[in-house]
Amino acid sequence: MASRVLAQCVRTLARSSARVSGGNLAVRAVTAPVSASHRSFSVISNAERSRVLEQSRVSIVSVWCRQYGDLPPLTLETIRDRVMYVLKLYDKVNPEKLQTTSHFMKDLGLDSLDQVEIIMAMEDEFGFEIPDADGEKLMSPADVVQYIADKKDVYE
Amino acid sequence: MASNAATRTAAGAARVVKPLFSRDLDEAKRRVRELYRAWYREVPNTVALFQLDISTRQAKDKVREMFVKNKHITDPRVIDMLVIKGKMELEETIKVWKQKTHIMRYFHETENQRPADFLSRFYQGHHP
Repeated sequence: MASRVLAQCVRTLARSSARVSGGNLAVRAVTAPVSASHRSFSVISNAERSRVLEQSRVSIVSVWCRQYGDLPPLTLETIRDRVMYVLKLYDKVNPEKLQTTSHFMKDLGLDSLDQVEIIMAMEDEFGFEIPDADGEKLMSPADVVQYIADKKDVYE
Repeated sequence: MASNAATRTAAGAARVVKPLFSRDLDEAKRRVRELYRAWYREVPNTVALFQLDISTRQAKDKVREMFVKNKHITDPRVIDMLVIKGKMELEETIKVWKQKTHIMRYFHETENQRPADFLSRFYQGHHP
């Protein structure tokens, strides 16, 4: 999880600095000093490593721009994948019988306390609080995805 | 006779009592769920803080067991009182007013198990 975030940070840094400099090949080397600092992390994948090496060969121009840290934007697909992943990890849920439309209580045979635990796992996964008045109504993975999309303003 | 019985049951069903916190069963169940969430979030910190010899999963199962033990209750006032007692236990656990022994008392470790099958009961004997 942390390695994935770090690799994505390197990728977004490279992409955003390339965008800011207008795609100028010489100026794209601003990533070279930044990525050089990241080179100490062994988690950079081989693709990143080859890209870092080829960018460091270009001449260095110091154009520093502000980089703000943020998570990658949510889409309905990613929300659905994460919700199903968290549900498959739950040990009281049979992963073969799990569908997007399966009801927690009727299809999967879970308790109301199990449903509370699932909503808490979703809170931990997506990082925002789900009040109990809303949480008690979410009875299937599709409901959860719809609720998170409503709260996070994700739409197709 | 039948009409008297009907009116008596109707009067008994419509008896209004002063609630403790929640006015109906749904509100009481909501309080139970909130208490369960608080306990669920607290349990890993408890196991670490008191240095208990149990795993987090065992502790969570024990919390679930204590909640399931009272699952059958339908009176909102009784549910409210149980929630209040649960909140008191939670406060004592969070603020470390309890000690390790008080928490391990939930697990009934030092109590002798009552025999379940015939032969064990036979050996223990019958002392009315």
